[in-house]
Amino acid sequence: MVSSISHYLNRFKACLKIDHTIRDDVAEELSTHLEDKIQELEENGLSKEEAGKIAVQSLGSPELIAQQIYETHAQGSWKEALFSALPHFLVALLFALYFYWHNLIWLSIVLILTVGMAIYGWHRGKPIWLFPWLGYYLIPVVVTGILLLSLPQGWGWIAALIYIPLALFVFIYIVRQTARRDWLYASLMLAPMLVIFSWFSSLGTGNRLLSSDWIAGLQTNALWIVISFIALAGATIAFIRLKPRRYKILSLLIPPLVILFSVTMASRGNIDSRGWLILLFSLFAFATPVWMQARAYQ
Amino acid sequence: MNYGRELLKGNTDSLLLCLISREPTYGYQIVKELETRSNGYFQFKEGTLYPALHRLERDNLITGKWQILPNGQQRRYYYITEKGQQVLANKLATWQDFASAVKSVIQTETT
Repeated sequence: MVSSISHYLNRFKACLKIDHTIRDDVAEELSTHLEDKIQELEENGLSKEEAGKIAVQSLGSPELIAQQIYETHAQGSWKEALFSALPHFLVALLFALYFYWHNLIWLSIVLILTVGMAIYGWHRGKPIWLFPWLGYYLIPVVVTGILLLSLPQGWGWIAALIYIPLALFVFIYIVRQTARRDWLYASLMLAPMLVIFSWFSSLGTGNRLLSSDWIAGLQTNALWIVISFIALAGATIAFIRLKPRRYKILSLLIPPLVILFSVTMASRGNIDSRGWLILLFSLFAFATPVWMQARAYQ
Repeated sequence: MNYGRELLKGNTDSLLLCLISREPTYGYQIVKELETRSNGYFQFKEGTLYPALHRLERDNLITGKWQILPNGQQRRYYYITEKGQQVLANKLATWQDFASAVKSVIQTETT
């Protein structure tokens, strides 16, 4: 009897991809419901085993309950949606005001706001809106690796050989921790990386990185970059507000399409091999969690 | 879909709010109360109750609190909120208007 109840609750918990505290709370509630039902059936003369079987049957499919509970909790409020999209809007604003690109005050405000929001979110039980903010923290980890490759006379590769495994470890660890809660949150977190590295790859890497041409390239393409981040913000709002999981997956497919289109338009197909490598890595990192989730969903 | 089921689905919130407004109660007790008060008319997969309760809680119409019973068991009791009472009053008024209108039409047809 105990095994049939625990099997039922395990099936329920495995399907319910929400905050683990809420998930455990609902599972506990179902468990007390089963206890009451079994007790009543036993008082009516049924054996423990029969009572357990009937109790589980009368509660219904754990997958269906999990899906309905998920849809109740999966839809974030408008406040959460705006909080989630805020970092993308801030970065879009930064590019929109590209005349202020060299202005350290603007940059400091955005950085302080990002760090402050992430610390606030971390101490508020890692709400859903935290993940897009966390995504911006992973960017310096990868950018440092790319910059190391630009060091002269082979030093780049030596430094990168030490740094890249370490950076990959940190990167995979954070993605896995996030994916343990929900694969889709991992993609939501990696989405800013997809935008930034797609533009990275289209504007040139290696020795040209951060050169005056590169900065000029940023300014020339500011409008397309702004469109990319606004598309990302829009997709994030849709992701938070939509209830059914399949629509959430679909909303995550919007940014790559908009970004690929705008990068191709801006670069006119003029991307070097290293650029393509970064672009493919970003797409792969972003798409893997969505693909894993879609597979689990089926 | 069965007509009776459709009616039940459309009125689940009112029924739950009505029961919870009478006294704080928990999931299993709600199922039993619904069954008893409706003379066995309302029978459904018991698990579907919990998504409905959580939806009402998300909308701040009810609030759930874990309580320890004298026998040491824990139950999650639901309480109606002020907003829930207002929503229930509106729903009941609408339902009574609707029911009396339907009744009037049906009585005219049958006489």
